[in-house]
Amino acid sequence: MTDMKIIVCAKQIPDPEAPLSDVSVDAEKMEVIVDAPQVISPFDENALEAAVQLKEEVGGKITVLSLGKKVSDTVLRKTIAAGADELILLQDDQFEKLDSYSTATALSDAIRKIGDYDLVLTGRQAGDWDSGQVGLILGEMLGLPCISLARAINVEDGSVVVEKSIPEGYERVKAQMPALVTVSNEVGELRYISRTKMLKMMRGSRSIPTWNAEEIGTSSDALQKMGIAALSSPPDMGRDCEFFEGSVDDQAGKLAEVFISLK
Amino acid sequence: MSEVLILGEVKAGSLETRTLELLEAGKKLADEMGGEFSLLLMGEGISGVADQALSYGPAKVYKMEHPLLEGFKPDLWVSALEQACRKIGPKVFLMGHSFVGMEVGPRLSARLNSRLTTDCIDLAIDPEDGLLLRTKPVSGGNAISVFKFQGEPQLATVRAKVFQAAEPGDAPGEIQEITPEIDESMIMVQSLEIVEEASVALDKASVVVSGGAGLGEEDGFELLEELAEALGESFDNVMIGCSRVAVDKGWISSDHQVGLTGTMISPDIYVAVGISGAIQHLVGMVHAKKIIAINTDKSCNMFKVADYGIVEDYEDVIPALMEKLEELS
Amino acid sequence: MTPHRVMFWQIDHIWIFYVLAALSTVLFLGGMAVCVLVWKKSAGSRSVSFSAEALKKMLLDVFLGRRLIEGHVAAGLMHLLIFWGFLILFVGTSVLAIHHYVTSFLAGTPHLVFSLLMELAGLMLLSGVIWALIRRYLQRVPRLERRLEDALVPLWLLLMVLSGFILEGLRLSSQAPAWAAWSFVGCWLGGLFSPDSAEAFYPACWWIHTLLCLSFIALIPYTKLFHILGAPASIYFQSAAEPVLLGIEDGAGEFDLGDAIFFDGCMRCGRCVASCPSAGAGEPFAPRDFVQAMRRTLWQEHSPVGDIRFMNRDEETQVDENFWYCTTCRACLEVCPVYGATFEVVTKKRMLAVEEGTQVPKLLNQTLEKLFKYNNPWESSKKKRGAWADDLDIVNLTKRGAEADLCYFVGCTTSFDDTAQRIAQSFSAVLKAAGVNFGILGKKEPCCGDIGRRVGELGLFEEQKEGCEKLFEKYNITEIVTSSPHCFHTFKNEYPDAEFRTRHYTQMLQKLMADGKLKFKDGIEAKVTYHDPCYLGRHNRIFDEPREVIGAIPGINLVEMPHHGEDSLCCGGGGGRMWQDLQGDVKMSEVRIREAEATGAEIVITACPLCLIMLEDARKAAGFKEPFRVMDLNELVLQALQEKEVRDE
Repeated sequence: MTDMKIIVCAKQIPDPEAPLSDVSVDAEKMEVIVDAPQVISPFDENALEAAVQLKEEVGGKITVLSLGKKVSDTVLRKTIAAGADELILLQDDQFEKLDSYSTATALSDAIRKIGDYDLVLTGRQAGDWDSGQVGLILGEMLGLPCISLARAINVEDGSVVVEKSIPEGYERVKAQMPALVTVSNEVGELRYISRTKMLKMMRGSRSIPTWNAEEIGTSSDALQKMGIAALSSPPDMGRDCEFFEGSVDDQAGKLAEVFISLK
Repeated sequence: MSEVLILGEVKAGSLETRTLELLEAGKKLADEMGGEFSLLLMGEGISGVADQALSYGPAKVYKMEHPLLEGFKPDLWVSALEQACRKIGPKVFLMGHSFVGMEVGPRLSARLNSRLTTDCIDLAIDPEDGLLLRTKPVSGGNAISVFKFQGEPQLATVRAKVFQAAEPGDAPGEIQEITPEIDESMIMVQSLEIVEEASVALDKASVVVSGGAGLGEEDGFELLEELAEALGESFDNVMIGCSRVAVDKGWISSDHQVGLTGTMISPDIYVAVGISGAIQHLVGMVHAKKIIAINTDKSCNMFKVADYGIVEDYEDVIPALMEKLEELS
Repeated sequence: MTPHRVMFWQIDHIWIFYVLAALSTVLFLGGMAVCVLVWKKSAGSRSVSFSAEALKKMLLDVFLGRRLIEGHVAAGLMHLLIFWGFLILFVGTSVLAIHHYVTSFLAGTPHLVFSLLMELAGLMLLSGVIWALIRRYLQRVPRLERRLEDALVPLWLLLMVLSGFILEGLRLSSQAPAWAAWSFVGCWLGGLFSPDSAEAFYPACWWIHTLLCLSFIALIPYTKLFHILGAPASIYFQSAAEPVLLGIEDGAGEFDLGDAIFFDGCMRCGRCVASCPSAGAGEPFAPRDFVQAMRRTLWQEHSPVGDIRFMNRDEETQVDENFWYCTTCRACLEVCPVYGATFEVVTKKRMLAVEEGTQVPKLLNQTLEKLFKYNNPWESSKKKRGAWADDLDIVNLTKRGAEADLCYFVGCTTSFDDTAQRIAQSFSAVLKAAGVNFGILGKKEPCCGDIGRRVGELGLFEEQKEGCEKLFEKYNITEIVTSSPHCFHTFKNEYPDAEFRTRHYTQMLQKLMADGKLKFKDGIEAKVTYHDPCYLGRHNRIFDEPREVIGAIPGINLVEMPHHGEDSLCCGGGGGRMWQDLQGDVKMSEVRIREAEATGAEIVITACPLCLIMLEDARKAAGFKEPFRVMDLNELVLQALQEKEVRDE
């Protein structure tokens, strides 16, 4: 099979690797404030890597979609630098803090607008809400075969063959394309994108198409917010730690006694 | 009568522990809403389990038997579940936050047009509007959020070991059969082969000896293995765990990883060696009954959640500890 | 009869000789032509102009074999024997040709002197080659290879010189001239043959000798013998050419003229392998193998006929991930007879790998992303950068109205790592005690960009550099002292338009001491050894200042490790390795700490945060307990100062 058309859904989120001290919870506004740069959700980067590897193998075109209230094209241009052919931003105030179902609704409308495609790839869950639903809901809405937790993806004569993680190990499954696959980190880390490549991409005169809710045909009724009833800092997991004292031998001795007492 | 329906998972002829926990959760919610809870079992040859299940007190045990439901084929299970939900019309539908739950949950949410909340660590009924309050960690564990959505059934997947497992008692309920209308043409994803891989069942361990960046090198795990062996004399099921950094450095395989993106565990004893305690790791083990930390950095986060702490180099402590353990036993 | 030599005695069909000579010349020139073509095609933006200095240096290196003797006296002498022996014989033969074809002058005393010289030269060559064979095949010196080419070359020379002596012997035996004794070796050999058999064997022997010699000349460009021309070219180039700092858009990662000449001048001597700490730790990297693989790649790319060194045909061009092991410690350049900087070739390969993206090791990938997002390669928040100074009352130069004479640029590692923070704390205390008016940049301190340059991420380096320059300009910073030799090296050598002066703290300490601002009244009684950090010592030639400071502390007895100064052993933390996990048979840092411990010293002094961390970890891993410990020079100095303060109370 040659010339695949792959759509990758990539979400922009605040860096999940941000040092702890840069994260705080505003219970009143019900917001998690992360004082860190915006990045592409890590599993979505894995999805992009899988797409680029497929493109290198069989040829084709990769379109990246990213949805949000304000999607930074500086962050998302990384996808083009990595090998995507097209980036489309789905930007609309109404896209702020959508629940998974609504996100999938908007994405499915956008994908229907794009029309022709063989494979839709997304990460298995996003680094901010950790829900892990959008991919499969999207697959259902588009009426596609759904495969989740992919660790390796291949194509064979119009079908996608995926090695997916299962509790016992892995399962090789096959589905006719077009299909939807959610991807786990085992497919591979996204190749390194040098700053030089990124800067070239930024300076490039290429304009990035931006579609709003109306343009993709999503009605406001279909867009519901994430229903947050309350938000709080995690409960204090603190315990009163008993520090042993004395020489290493003394301390080891006391610890051994603790173990014996717990038998 | 409002119904809380629970999706049961079966292994080797009996209910999985997580199903027993869901039954307990179901009971709690049923009490709060003044309704009842019931269990849905799917598969082939599940009559025995269905009978067993009655003893945990559900009002009904729904049995969906079909040869095609043997083994887990997501396409067929989703369709069957959709049919069951439409037929039974529960107010709340609970699944375990498991491989099965995460495969069927979102797709069911799409088909039933009802919002799902995954990985819940608590559930309650809002006394004002009778909707399900779903509590789950977000932002990598940095915050706890309570969600509420309209829609029926109210959907949630529940984290393991958050609720107690239900105890068997009276069996007032009855078994009801539901015939699923499924056939092979519904299968969109074919299974070609299943390959078993030996893996580490960390969540079954009672004692976990875990290593992190502070070990300094791959060989550090050898010392931890020795300790695990020594502890194995006094405890059953001692396993080796690790932090994400150790996996990234290639010191140990990812199935030993404890944490948000690894395995969430709550063993009897967790020994953290050279692990600083990043939040993504902490959320994975903080519910252990006893936590022991060995680290040269007294200010690290791990000591804040530990019961016992030793601020020394593990390479000095562990050999001494093994010696003392031998003396005492 | 006047002493002279009969030319072409008994040789019929001399025309065959001329054909062979022509053939040999054509082959030689052909090979040279391809070589020059490859050099031209790979030239890039590098070019070289005439420099009398460079020429002088080249001639001295080539004719005196300085580098070779400095590196290893025995090997250097052996090479000098071969070099001068061959050179004299070659010149002599050419002189003979002139005598025969142009103008006769080798008669009488000139001929006798000529004969004697040639005899001595032959002996030199013979003994040199035999010594070479002994070193390579009997002593089996580890850095010397034993491939087919390595056997053939000295054997060829051996056969050439032996056949030459035998030929001479046959001639002398048969002709028995009165002056035969001047060619004493030949004379002696000739005695082994009867004049009649000598005369009979002579023609055959002559043709053999001729074939051997002509083919030798022809083969020069097709074997490692090319170093006869390539080595002088490389030595000249490295001294004459201006170093360049290119951006990636200007082809920074591409091999240029300097690289091409270096690759071809490499004689595979292996001195680089013997001094490389990576190879020494059993890691899968060896400079020579890497250079030769790069050479083959270059030739495959630019040569119309592929690699003409036909005996290399089976060798590897793939280097996989091995080039990530190089620590860029410069030990290879220190010993290379042709001044080849393998670590810079490695950096170029890294630049290409980083641009391409898929060959960047995972941990490094993550580290570079962190550096870009948080201005430091560690786990830490930018906000914590000045935290080590929180209770220390140090001027923050980024606050309004703050001013100081000197900016102490702490650096990423020293700011965030628990062990390395000791350096910052001690150095600031020392500066205070010496009454120096200094400040730090606190949270706003950026990264100097060193990692970017070492691992080939030039774009990232450029961004960090711009950030630093803007900040220094904003706060009017003109004087900087750094904790890390890496920051020092980067600021000093890789910020060409810097408007600030950079020093490393060892230079500062030495100056303060010389100015009398640091007084060590009472010392600590201890035996110490000093570990030269690669980027302070080898890269920037700062060997003496730290030693002067140590030497000035009473009670301190400095012992040197076997590898010190220019041949200090790398701790393994440089070249981006701190943020990767590379396995070898042993850890480089462990090799070094064992060497330190073996001196009997109680304290290992270093002057670099990476060295401090690496050696501390190695000390623990090797099981060396206190009182044997690793300290930064500042900690030692502070202790020596404090003793005084304590006393005075």
